[in-house]
Amino acid sequence: MAKITQDAAKVGAQVGRSVPRLEGRDKVTGRAEYTHTMRVPGMLHAKLFRSTVAHGRIKSVDTSAAKKVPGVVAVITIDDVRKVIPDPYYGPAFHDQPILADGKVRFVGEPVAAVLSFDPHIADEAVQLITAEYEELPAVFDEVDALTSKVYVHDVLKPAGTFADLKHLKNAKDTNMALDYRLRRGDFDKAYAAAAHKFEHEFKTQKVLHLPFEPHATIADYKDTGVTLHTASQGPSFVRTEIARLLGWQENKVRIKVPYLGSGYGGKLYIKLEALALALSMIARRPVKVALTFEELFYQITKHPCTFRIKSGVDKDGKIVARKCEVYWNGGAYADIGPRVTQKSGLTASGPYDIDNVWIDSYALYTNVTPSGALRGFGVPQLVWAYESHTDMMARELKLDPVEFRRKNIMREGGEHTTTHILKDAACEKAMDTVLERMNWSKPFDKGKGVIRRGRGFGVAIKAVITPTTSVAIVNVSADGSVALYCGTVDMGQGSDTAMAQMVGEVLNIQAESVRVVQRDTDVTPYDMGTLGSRSLFHMGHAVKRAAEDAREKLKALAREVGEPEGSNIPIRELFVKRYGMQAGNVIGSGIFKPDYIPPAPGTGLSKNVTAFWMVSSAGAEVSVDTETGHVKIDKLVNVVDCGKPINPRIVETQISGGATMQLGFTMFEKMHLDGGQVTNASLADYKIPGFHDTPTVMENVALEVFQSNGPFGAKGVGEVATFCVSPAIANAIDDAVGVRLTELPLNPEAVYRAIRAKAGKPLEDE
Amino acid sequence: MIPFDLAEPKSLSEAIKLLDPDDATVRPIAGGTALMLMMKAGVFRPQKLVSLRKIESKYSGIVASHDGLRIGAMTTLGVIERSAEVRKHAPVITRTMITLSNVRVRNVATVGGALAHGDPHMDLPPVLMALGATITIVGPKGERSLALEDLFSGYYETTLEKNELIAEVHVPSQGPKKAAYMKVTTGSADDWPALGVAVVMEADGKAIKSARVVVSAATTKATRMKSAEAALAGKTVDDKVLAQAGDAAAEDAEILADVRGSVPYKRELIRVYVRRAVRAAIDGQGAH
Repeated sequence: MAKITQDAAKVGAQVGRSVPRLEGRDKVTGRAEYTHTMRVPGMLHAKLFRSTVAHGRIKSVDTSAAKKVPGVVAVITIDDVRKVIPDPYYGPAFHDQPILADGKVRFVGEPVAAVLSFDPHIADEAVQLITAEYEELPAVFDEVDALTSKVYVHDVLKPAGTFADLKHLKNAKDTNMALDYRLRRGDFDKAYAAAAHKFEHEFKTQKVLHLPFEPHATIADYKDTGVTLHTASQGPSFVRTEIARLLGWQENKVRIKVPYLGSGYGGKLYIKLEALALALSMIARRPVKVALTFEELFYQITKHPCTFRIKSGVDKDGKIVARKCEVYWNGGAYADIGPRVTQKSGLTASGPYDIDNVWIDSYALYTNVTPSGALRGFGVPQLVWAYESHTDMMARELKLDPVEFRRKNIMREGGEHTTTHILKDAACEKAMDTVLERMNWSKPFDKGKGVIRRGRGFGVAIKAVITPTTSVAIVNVSADGSVALYCGTVDMGQGSDTAMAQMVGEVLNIQAESVRVVQRDTDVTPYDMGTLGSRSLFHMGHAVKRAAEDAREKLKALAREVGEPEGSNIPIRELFVKRYGMQAGNVIGSGIFKPDYIPPAPGTGLSKNVTAFWMVSSAGAEVSVDTETGHVKIDKLVNVVDCGKPINPRIVETQISGGATMQLGFTMFEKMHLDGGQVTNASLADYKIPGFHDTPTVMENVALEVFQSNGPFGAKGVGEVATFCVSPAIANAIDDAVGVRLTELPLNPEAVYRAIRAKAGKPLEDE
Repeated sequence: MIPFDLAEPKSLSEAIKLLDPDDATVRPIAGGTALMLMMKAGVFRPQKLVSLRKIESKYSGIVASHDGLRIGAMTTLGVIERSAEVRKHAPVITRTMITLSNVRVRNVATVGGALAHGDPHMDLPPVLMALGATITIVGPKGERSLALEDLFSGYYETTLEKNELIAEVHVPSQGPKKAAYMKVTTGSADDWPALGVAVVMEADGKAIKSARVVVSAATTKATRMKSAEAALAGKTVDDKVLAQAGDAAAEDAEILADVRGSVPYKRELIRVYVRRAVRAAIDGQGAH
């Protein structure tokens, strides 16, 4: 504490200081406001009746009994919605998602009808009385099947028009493919044919959940003159655009207010409950709140399950000369942002390796399950799981040291990334070396004995930040000298308000703690593309820095105007008094940022400038495996990330430990169990996430200070990067310990035990 | 969930009168940790809940005597966890408590509720069964005593009548007996167990006179593994004896598959953990 006070006194040194979170006190004392607990006068609660079949034509929906429940205000289906919104379809990539099921249902849990009441319990009870008849249709669940299946989730594809690479899918029929991304570099076929060693593996990941501790919630308050939405969203600007489109209104009649979020992890991006809440409020002519329960989260959005087929050709010296990646993304019933996950992760699917001949196909696929979207890594953790497992498997077969094999192939500063973009400020090898150093890799390792066998493994990964995207910020200096920042980055626990205030403080030479960060409200906070993909600290950071610099220059101009000498240190408040005769006036600085970018060439996907910055991480794990039960204990987990210059080192550390721990759950046991499209563990009683007792015995979290030369104050994003390597590091360690290779997540005790038995030639029977 | 009646009787006998054996929508509620989950999931929709929180305070305490502990049914698991008497008379219970669910649940859930719910995934019932606990049941016709192992009749099923309540649990002193409980999870550490194994033995060093072995969670109900007990009784513990006990339990157990594991896998867990629990008890390392 003393240290913080001392640091705080050093005005002008705001960046690089572990400022305690500005909102921390409000949160721990229960004062912070969240949408999920918010009430608006006259508000109705909506509860949803959901589909029980995975794919079917709706023959009838009987709402008569529900309507008779005392206290029910209305029961609403798509027929009612259509009267207020004639084309009731929404989505960021495709306008494919109906506000309520329209003629068909496409996954178990899809909302079919909504009940409105002043009492949420009454609405809930009435929902139980609704019945629906479906004509069941064949369904497709698996992402690989979906590519060739004759079962089509959608009759016609309807791209939203936002993304150029989806235009060719307009009106496409008889397909489940919502994007086919490709990259071609060199000549894969020729190089692979000539390679001395050939490897081919398939990896799978399971369906898992974001599980924000504040479930999704939106309150819509519609009036003919304008609409206000209070919503737990990571992207207020996008919500405004999409709501305005649905209404056919100008954006200035749509107001989106976003308080703090109880986390998001990508699950609250783009548009979720907002369109439904809007429609219900238009019908009821009252404010309407839609707030999910934890159980309903299983039917809102999940991470993409993925099948990754990877082929590599290696020459006699251990150099990878050819790689083919075929990636199938299980997008669920509605595309959400799946096509962007497919493309943006697709371009780094071949990993942080320097390979001359690369072929990447990445497919976004519709299936009859809960939609998939971005989850802390935009697809990259699924890819790293595959390619870093693959790397170790090749090294093992070639009897090469896994470190030396990687060193022979890793991309280095100044070299070309697969896309032909020259790699800069991407410390791949240094991240790997730091992990190895922290793990004492060169020292002898205790492999255990008897029942408990020990092993260690690691991985290294790269991600390209989603590019190009735009952020705008405003800095307002009031006449008393106090400063407010207006920016649309949503603080959902990652500490962005604090970091942005530090940047303002750094430029204006004031304490970060004195900067007021205005709550997100599209009536006052300017445009931002969204709080996603670790983009905010870099993009919004630049905009904030520019806005603060603009304000600083305007203050200097004001000083000149009132006759102050150059370099005068006159207090700001006196400056305003001198100019306006009293405490009056404002200085407004603004900043906008959009990075340079060259779109990938059609056909090859190559570009000399494909991303604003690279994210790099490495992780290493030491494990103990119980060979009699398959239980894996993580003795040590080392996470190293290149996040540029840490603006707030303490918050950076918690982002690293938080990301790694989240991925640990996805790696070891989290799984949505599905049976014919039905989720069989849709509650927190049966879907478990890691707790304190699941954290590794030793966990080290390291931020490499690698100055990001084009970043604000040398910084770049850190929200996702620690998730990348956890899964393959652990799988590689398990292989090292007991000689079995798991290619499907999660690495739960039964999976490990079955692999051990299979290796011993005594496979365990199936059921 | 729609509003329901909440009765808060001041005595156990009053509570029993409020229960209706013919109406499944009337149920007693103690800590509510299990019932609330069922209500949230919509699988139980009450008309009336009879809260037991305000009944006589004697049902919320622990009394120790020379022959053991009498634990009131409304005693919370947290109180049991922190009780010096429990630690003295049945240390295996104390050691079990810290692995049982989490501190929030333990501070609310009661021992009576944990037994009456008949959920096979609970950690405490197998331990109490292995210790040879008996329960006092009160109903409209008066009191009866029942060996705990006779309470559970199936998956979430007990032999309690709908208008009977558990009043008290009597736990014989552990004394010189050796005991262990092992909780095995396959999800997070605080998940419900995929398997629970409780062992209580009379033994002189490694020579076992008699043993009670109870398996839960993997099975339809907490179950004594009598073949494993027979494999241990009168034997001196060595690898072979342990393996025989584990194998016997694995072969006898009626196992259910769920998201925590398949039947063959849980069978292997039983084989391994019966062995480990016996060894832990003999080695004096009570709980896992």
